[in-house]
Amino acid sequence: MRDLPLLAAEGLVRRYWMRRGVFGRPAAVRAVDGVSLTLERGRTLGLVGESGCGKSTTGRLVLGLEAPDAGRVAFEGQPMPPPGTPAWRALRARMQMVFQDPLGALDRRMTVGAQVAEPLEIHGLPDRAERVATLLREVGLRPDQGRQYPHELSGGQRQRAVLARALATDPALLVCDEPISALDVSIQAQVMNLLVELQARLGTAILFVSHDLRAVRQVSHRVAVMYLGRIVEEGEPDAVLQDPAHPYAQALVSAIPHPGRRQRRILLAGDPPNPADRPAGCAFHPRCAAAVPMCAQADPVLKPRAGDGRLVACHVAQGDVRPRKAA
Amino acid sequence: MLRFLGFRLLRAAVTIVLVVSFAFLVLRLSGDPAQIIMGADAPPEAVAAFRQAWGLEEPLYVQYLRYFGAILRGDLGRSMRDGREAITLVAERIPATLALTVPALLIKLCIGIPAGITAALHRNSLIDRAVMVLAVAGFTVPSFVLGLLLVLVFAVQLGWLPSGGQDSWRHAILPIVTMGVGGAAVLARFTRSAMLEVLGQPYIRTASAKGVPWRAVVWGHALPNAAIPTVTIIGFMVGSLIAGAVVVESVFSWPGVGRLLVVAVANRDLAVVQCILLLVAATMVTANLVVDLLYGALDPRLRNAVRGA
Amino acid sequence: MSEAALPVTLAPPAAPRGLPALVVFAGVWLLLMLGIALLADVVSPYGYTALDLRNRLSPPIGFGGVAPHPLGTDELGRDVLSRLVYSIRMSLLIAFGATIIGAVIGTTLGFLAAHCRGVVDQVVLALVDFSASLPFLILALSVLAFFGNSLTLFVCLLGLHAWERYARIARGLAVSAGAQGYAAAVRQLGASPWRVYGRHVLPNIASTLIVSMTLAFPEIILLESGLSFLGLGVQPPETSLGSMVGYGREYLTRAPWILLSPAAVIVLTTFSVSVLGDWLRDRLDPTLR
Ligand SMILES: Nc1ncnc2c1ncn2[C@@H]1O[C@H](COP(=O)(O)OP(=O)(O)OP(=O)(O)O)[C@@H](O)[C@H]1O
Ligand SMILES: [Mg+2]
Repeated sequence: MRDLPLLAAEGLVRRYWMRRGVFGRPAAVRAVDGVSLTLERGRTLGLVGESGCGKSTTGRLVLGLEAPDAGRVAFEGQPMPPPGTPAWRALRARMQMVFQDPLGALDRRMTVGAQVAEPLEIHGLPDRAERVATLLREVGLRPDQGRQYPHELSGGQRQRAVLARALATDPALLVCDEPISALDVSIQAQVMNLLVELQARLGTAILFVSHDLRAVRQVSHRVAVMYLGRIVEEGEPDAVLQDPAHPYAQALVSAIPHPGRRQRRILLAGDPPNPADRPAGCAFHPRCAAAVPMCAQADPVLKPRAGDGRLVACHVAQGDVRPRKAA
Repeated sequence: MLRFLGFRLLRAAVTIVLVVSFAFLVLRLSGDPAQIIMGADAPPEAVAAFRQAWGLEEPLYVQYLRYFGAILRGDLGRSMRDGREAITLVAERIPATLALTVPALLIKLCIGIPAGITAALHRNSLIDRAVMVLAVAGFTVPSFVLGLLLVLVFAVQLGWLPSGGQDSWRHAILPIVTMGVGGAAVLARFTRSAMLEVLGQPYIRTASAKGVPWRAVVWGHALPNAAIPTVTIIGFMVGSLIAGAVVVESVFSWPGVGRLLVVAVANRDLAVVQCILLLVAATMVTANLVVDLLYGALDPRLRNAVRGA
Repeated sequence: MSEAALPVTLAPPAAPRGLPALVVFAGVWLLLMLGIALLADVVSPYGYTALDLRNRLSPPIGFGGVAPHPLGTDELGRDVLSRLVYSIRMSLLIAFGATIIGAVIGTTLGFLAAHCRGVVDQVVLALVDFSASLPFLILALSVLAFFGNSLTLFVCLLGLHAWERYARIARGLAVSAGAQGYAAAVRQLGASPWRVYGRHVLPNIASTLIVSMTLAFPEIILLESGLSFLGLGVQPPETSLGSMVGYGREYLTRAPWILLSPAAVIVLTTFSVSVLGDWLRDRLDPTLR
């Protein structure tokens, strides 16, 4: 039991059927297309990628909020029960989600305290009033703020309240889906620090979804880069974000403004990806500066790179072919 | 486009099937028609013969399937009262109903839409207030009250018009007015709010800010867009013409489909009631279908919208 | 459509200060009606079936009537005022009952559709289409005449009026709350559907539902009175506003007062609820048209 990872997902696939117009044929959007990941207790995995690449969907799948079309999720070695069943509901006490928009995630008509107490009620835990006060204090709110309504709190305070609610049952896993992107920059740092601090204290594992690479680097123990429903690179945050191997990751990293370093920004050419119409071969090849003819035919697999063992899915980075020109 | 049409037709067909099933179930489950037609003290042999003759002995689902098959062949059954074809009985009454409802519909359109537009263009003016109060009043006065008041004033007190019957065009005036006024009020309310909504849109403000003449803004931009929601309510009005006629025809003893329905219902005349239910539903479904298609023509965006939330 | 109207129409409407007079009137009238309905036994001078054979078809006071019957009497010498009071009670009772039944049924089905999706959703949507495709009067007419009319059945039947509106609203709002937002958040806390819908979704959409109820309420009063007028609603000896009008119709020429007072009450009541509903809608729910 101890040596099993807390969370192991294998080959997750999730399709959505979309119809373009009333007349169109339904087309499968492969929002997540074969994602595998593992997460150890007390660790953080950062998940980055551009909008629409399937980060949130991956988050919902590993939490079991949706059933995958293929692949499996194991939590503490046990398979995920189907959504909505009593076993599934009971498991919610062990895994929680923190949403991007704290105002939307809170019920406007209930006090913050009542909402923080709700998971305790649902899972039949005792000492509610006391626990709520402790939780509020833990996330940096005053216990008397529990009597306020969500709209009476600031954005950062709301996200703290959401965090308090998520931590109420002392979960082993927290999925944070862009928890800071709706917040002011100054507050972002506070919430990030709070997350790191809470993790150190409570030993919670975190799947941290974001497109803010610096935030990811600050909190993560590992980073996975997603493109069009697949993980294209995974490794230590310092390594991946300092020296990305995949051309897409390189483009992402180069887009971070760096005061000290003067580096050419890699502009992504071509259209943004459409998951309903996945290009053949490497999905990134139409926009890739380093693409060679092989990239349009063979689908690269995620495997350790020869030199340093970095996981990357790219023919060029793997050294299978010579790049068209130096990136 | 064909796909869209097919989808709508399928929905219409499902609705009609539901209506037929509903009519059959309600009418058949509510009691034994043989007893009701023949009377409680009819001799048992006569009742049995009646049941035999009308196929009431068979299991319900057989009757149901038989009924469905008959409808598909265009046979809507015979009136249990006088043995005539239900469809003929109903068809005979349709002209009388149309003679009331079509002029009434014209009144609704000719009063309701201009009143609504005028009120919207002069928002918060005296005209607007007056139209709104009249509209709410017109919608809250039930047609039987309005009809009786008109009779009281124009037939009883003034003696200008007859109070009931169907002998000349003068007999039709009061029922037509009764039907038209209420609908005009509803339509005015609707047109006004549709128009106000459109006038509040940024593109209207942009157009008028750019110096497009106000008349052109109204005719060129506002009206066509306000027409979209208004078409819905007009479609609904066309679809519910017969329903609207039930009460008014009863007030004025006008021999139309509506009165036939009331009488048939009172007599538990299965075939006739089913026939009218079907007619009403078919009118409504057709009107909805036309509205849906018109929507597509008026608003290209909707053609790409997926139904439901 | 004069061009001079342009600046006026584009200016935002001035916010009205205080309560509009019409709203005050509507409120007062409805309170009066409610009071009468609740206190019917106290305020009505006679029983609604009490006969006064010496004063048959006596006109109201001011039209040559006699003191004991301020609104006159009918053919049997029954006091119109007393009958009116009991009719108000009956009509309001039916309208309240039916409105609540409709809201409960519609909201429940809407939540069910939103929760289960798939087949259940399609069935509910088909039922909604069905309801929308058959004018309610016609449907009610056939059901009533064929099942006979007990008061319970009548109220339940009227309760079906407008259920599809609540169903649409509840379904739509629940789906959007479940897709992203507080309902999804509570669901992933492990809450049962009861808790999600009962404690979270329902309180959040209550204001929209209440506004729809104020829109349906006058329609139900009108339907009730229409059906009773046709003789298919409330049956004698019970009396409602519509059946009073239907009865009075026979005496239209000789004794119009029998019909005029209930007619006036119907009109004023539906008018008041509509005015109040419109006003409430503007305050509570700017998104609903
Ligand atoms: N419920 C759904 N129905 C249909 N398509 C969906 C649904 N949820 C997600 N998708 C599609 O799946 C793809 C991935 O969506 P997802 O929300 O996982 O992206 P994301 O990486 O979280 O993006 P963002 O950074 O914008 O949040 C998108 O193309 C989206 O349109
Ligand atoms: Mg997302």
